[in-house]
Amino acid sequence: MSDKKQSRIRRHRKVAYSLLSLLVLTLVLPLIPYAVAEKDETAGKVFNPGTELWRDVRQRDRDVIGTTQMKSVDAGVLINEYGETWRHFRMQQLVPYGAALMGIVLSIILLFYLLRGPLRLQEEPSGKKIERFTVFERTVHWFTVAIFWLLALTGLILLYGRFVLIPILGADGFGITASACKEAHNLFGPTFLVALVLLFLTFVKDNIYARGDMLWLLKGGGMLGGGHVSAGRFNAGEKIWFWIAIIGGLVLSVTGLILVFSILGQSREIMGLSHVLHGIVALVVISVSFGHIYLGTAGVEGTLGSMTTGYVDEAWAKSHHDRWYAEVKAAEDGSDKIVDEPGLATEGKS
Amino acid sequence: MAAMKFYCDAERCIECNGCVTACKNENEVPWGVNRRRVVTIKDGEPGERSLSVACMHCSDAPCAAVCPVDCFYTTDDGIVLHDKDICIGCGYCFYACPFGAPQFPKEGAFASRGKMDKCTFCAGGPLPDNSSEEYRKYGANRIAEGKLPACAEMCATKALLAGDADMVADIYRKRMVNRASAALGKGFQLREQNIGSGVDLKGKVTN
Repeated sequence: MSDKKQSRIRRHRKVAYSLLSLLVLTLVLPLIPYAVAEKDETAGKVFNPGTELWRDVRQRDRDVIGTTQMKSVDAGVLINEYGETWRHFRMQQLVPYGAALMGIVLSIILLFYLLRGPLRLQEEPSGKKIERFTVFERTVHWFTVAIFWLLALTGLILLYGRFVLIPILGADGFGITASACKEAHNLFGPTFLVALVLLFLTFVKDNIYARGDMLWLLKGGGMLGGGHVSAGRFNAGEKIWFWIAIIGGLVLSVTGLILVFSILGQSREIMGLSHVLHGIVALVVISVSFGHIYLGTAGVEGTLGSMTTGYVDEAWAKSHHDRWYAEVKAAEDGSDKIVDEPGLATEGKS
Repeated sequence: MAAMKFYCDAERCIECNGCVTACKNENEVPWGVNRRRVVTIKDGEPGERSLSVACMHCSDAPCAAVCPVDCFYTTDDGIVLHDKDICIGCGYCFYACPFGAPQFPKEGAFASRGKMDKCTFCAGGPLPDNSSEEYRKYGANRIAEGKLPACAEMCATKALLAGDADMVADIYRKRMVNRASAALGKGFQLREQNIGSGVDLKGKVTN
């Protein structure tokens, strides 16, 4: 190998390195100003007070509360971004979906009634009656019913009246109706909380989960065929309705109080959120109540008497609440002996 | 068809609350109700600006959309008004309004909201023009007399503009051109002038 050849290789290597470094520099050098510029963010920016002001007014980056001489709620907020969200919820979601929910539930109930009809007793009515609800229990129930439906109807009129009642009553006529509804809703709203507490205290002891409830639920309460399912004083369906009413009612009461006592100075955002919860929960509880009303009247033969006279036929008790019937009979016999139910532990109802 | 609009020039408003006083005096609104208010952003800090705000008479008014009794209407002049004989004082317009314009006197059960009151662009209400009944419920009807709202007429610095949207826009556009050229004439950086234009000294758009 000659020196000449070695020097040629060296020269080639030098050329290659030069070209490579040239290429790297061509790519990297133009980036340096960017790297430097990033260190001083404000250098390339022109501060624009007009843009800053309107960004603050629109609350784009942060909540900007201004100062003002006015003492009213949210007076320092120039633009309430939340309002548009609430408008969308009420007009595009609550109104149509609420109507759809109630319509679907009513349709299902009607369809069920037409297809399967009311649930009949397993045996002929015996004529012998036993007490199911005391006068106090019935009073609490109907007190709650009266206030609930007063509030539900006035609330539904306020939600749907514009679409349904204005074409019938005219704007002025509906104005008077709606005004009465609003006053009634606001006045009797807090009373619902009283009814709710009474309802809870009266019925809670029989609405705790007991063994057998899951079996009742799995069998669909016997409504889908397969005959009657064993139950205590209240079956699992009634218990679920009880807890929906209590928890839903509590949410309705709390959000309702936030909405009615606007004098306390809560912000629009809090009131808007309360309205969202109030609307959703109200429509759900109303829809579920349709099912309760159906099962208490036309849906199950001989049930209505339990809440009107307080008494039910023994045959009804045996059919729907066999374990409760057994307990009542055991208590009547003056013995503590509870009739054994195969496969099911009896609950401690006195 | 005209479209009546307010515009508040933040570079001119000096937070004197003259518009608020003029409004209260002109319309004799109840205690606790303020149809117009002045809000100051960054009070006492660099970049402090004030804006006078009332009902902005929206083209697609959220208050009218959510009203459960449909008591709002838009006049031929594009002014959003409401009928207090139909209003039930539910407060929904207040939740929906971006500007906090609807106001409620405290009355009724639990001192809840009475019938809503808001800026009428000094255009009264649905009752006969300038009747005593209209004045009692809605305040002055200056529009029927061929006048503009009292707040804008009283504004000492002419920060608050009221009138047909095209005319208001023309006035504001002229102001912007004048401010920009004045700044250029003096040779100041626009950012020092705080006039809010995105143009630098050589006329290049910078943002």
